[in-house]
Amino acid sequence: MRVDPSYVSNLVGSLNQAQANQQQLTAELSSGVRINSLSQGPVASGENVLLLNQIQQDDSFTQSSSLVTGQLQVADSTLGSVVSQLTQAISLATGANNGTMNASDVKAIANQISGILDEVQSLANTSYQGQYIFAGGQTSTTPFTTSTATSPGVTSYNGDQDVNYLVTPNGQKIQLNVPGSQIFLGSGTNSAFEALNRLVADYSTGTVNTSQAVSDTQALSTALNFVSQQRVTIDDSITQVTAASEAVTTDQTQLTTAQTNLMQADVAQVSTQLSQAETQQTALEDVIAQLDSASNSLFSKLQ
Amino acid sequence: MGTINSAFSLISGALDADQSALSIVANNVANANTPGYTQERPTWQENQPVTINGLSYGDGVSETGAKSLRDSVLVARLDQQQQLASASGARLTALNSVQALFPPDSGSASATAGDIGSDITSFFNSFSSLEADPTDNSLREEVLSSAGTLAGDISNAAASLNEQSAALDQEASGVTAQVNALTSAIAQLNQQIQTTSPNADAGTLEDQRQEDLSQLSQLIGINQVKTENNGLSVTTTSGQLLVSEGSSFQLTSGQSGGVTHFFVGTTDVTTQLASGGGQLGGYLTARDQDIPNALNALNQLAYNISTQVNTQNSAGTDLDGVTGSAANPLNIFSQPATVAGSAAAMSVVMTDPNQIAAASAGQGTGDNSNATAMANLAKQTIVGGQTPTDFYSNLVSTLGATISGVQAENTAENASVTQLQTQNNALSSVNLNDEAAAMSTLQTSYQAASQVFNLLNTIMTSALNLGVQTAVS
Repeated sequence: MRVDPSYVSNLVGSLNQAQANQQQLTAELSSGVRINSLSQGPVASGENVLLLNQIQQDDSFTQSSSLVTGQLQVADSTLGSVVSQLTQAISLATGANNGTMNASDVKAIANQISGILDEVQSLANTSYQGQYIFAGGQTSTTPFTTSTATSPGVTSYNGDQDVNYLVTPNGQKIQLNVPGSQIFLGSGTNSAFEALNRLVADYSTGTVNTSQAVSDTQALSTALNFVSQQRVTIDDSITQVTAASEAVTTDQTQLTTAQTNLMQADVAQVSTQLSQAETQQTALEDVIAQLDSASNSLFSKLQ
Repeated sequence: MGTINSAFSLISGALDADQSALSIVANNVANANTPGYTQERPTWQENQPVTINGLSYGDGVSETGAKSLRDSVLVARLDQQQQLASASGARLTALNSVQALFPPDSGSASATAGDIGSDITSFFNSFSSLEADPTDNSLREEVLSSAGTLAGDISNAAASLNEQSAALDQEASGVTAQVNALTSAIAQLNQQIQTTSPNADAGTLEDQRQEDLSQLSQLIGINQVKTENNGLSVTTTSGQLLVSEGSSFQLTSGQSGGVTHFFVGTTDVTTQLASGGGQLGGYLTARDQDIPNALNALNQLAYNISTQVNTQNSAGTDLDGVTGSAANPLNIFSQPATVAGSAAAMSVVMTDPNQIAAASAGQGTGDNSNATAMANLAKQTIVGGQTPTDFYSNLVSTLGATISGVQAENTAENASVTQLQTQNNALSSVNLNDEAAAMSTLQTSYQAASQVFNLLNTIMTSALNLGVQTAVS
């Protein structure tokens, strides 16, 4: 039988292989990452890109959601103040309408309601981080201005009907604002500003046209209900953002687990493999040493 | 009837034969570690018998020269396999440099630098963030800075790919000189072999020719055809003649379309060499196929992201109230004219974050619907029928699969080379055990022949002295 006389060099090849294997395993152990180059896991590498994309989207949404929650809460608390101001105006008007007040008291009521009008207008002109929150898309324009050139005065809206939405990673659209005109001017009988302006006009002369004033008071209370309804939209958005944010956080946790499983080295497994590779190397070294020391040709026996 | 004289000549012939056999063994031992040396065996031949008076007498032995133990089919297979292994080896080396440009992101807090996948996500996320507060300056700055990172990483990767391609081009053109040196050496050896040994194995010359062929096989893919009088023709795997018996044909290189092309005579054999094998085949496959594939994918990514983002941004109104138009577009990225080259040229041209059009055309600056539309581009199939992230994910896994395929191929081919080498070594390389045994046998045989000679001498003396022992010694 013929054999390859240079088989020791093949063994050295195996030894190099074992060393390369150990290097790879050591790199995995030290970095903790199973896949250090694309060819070690083509499918996993592709999957990793998609998972990281979702994780980062979730992460980014979590940050956005805290930002918009702040804005929505400002809107909500502003509308809360508006409601209490309007409630106060209604009670003042109701007092003035019962016919027991003298002219100067009625005028004082007119002044107070006028003050409330200013206050509500300034609330409607609330800004968050320099942007008016009830101006639709025209966030750099003061949305409400009142002209007293006529009686009753006229409060006009300078914003637009634009509504912004925040899109969650799974595509849900959450309303971020309610245009000011919808809240404060309503349509027809729901206009809080119109009712306030009319009440100021009703009382400013000191003599009260009771039926007109009662009707205007009624209109203000309808407007108040309408404002409360619009506030519900904002509250709903806050709830939605919170829920979406929680869902996204859960999703992110799951995705991170999946991504970790995909990419991270199984330390126990890698250690076992490393120890096997070490054993193999030692064995190979021993074999080569043995072969080396043995007289490897008959020539050593020739006399 | 045989005579003592004939016995003398017979046994001295045996001594001669033993001596020349011993020198063959000594030559084997001397060349035990010479690369390409094929072990030789003495050829023993029984001499023609002599017939005298109808009786046939043996006429001893001759040693008619050394015969190399060579299996030319096995060697040719080894060369062929070597061509494949060299090609995949060279291609693998090139591909490993390519994949270094696309490191898998481990997903740890510090994202791997240069990970285009994360860059794409961050870029489109910056628009999602802008939805929350479309007028915020820091969010707008974030859009521009993530755009800069994306453009920078894509153009860096493209530039590196171009450099790698140029480096491969240089290495490939360096191969021609080596190929030409080897082919002219083979042609020269052909001439010598045809003159000195037209009918039999040419021994040392054949060893040299074989060694040159093995070296050539590492460089390019070749076919060998035996011709008459022990000559040899070498062609490329596609059939272009490189060596025809005594003459060789130069492989030349020249620039064509910005890259080196290879010619035999006036025929452009670049494509054939790329698929032929050998180092050159590997280099050319990487240069003309693998790197362009990766580069094309990056170009598509860059072109489509740039174009779509520019279009969408120009469709909206920016913070200064300006709405983009065809004449005056609000471009974030430099607008690429063609897909080719768009990755290397990708850059951010917008400097003023106010120019990001978060609002839809004509809407107030507080509107965010165009920012939503831009963020939504990440979910749309804007790159080759896929979303940008899906496309990149595909690029990464396709590249990874290619490399892992080539790796497996290379491992298998190397294993096969080793196996064939073992087979060939078993036959052709010098085994010292065998040589020692042969030496020992020849020694015994030489001693026996000498002894016979000695005895014949004594017998002859007896004959000359007619039985008197002492007269002539």
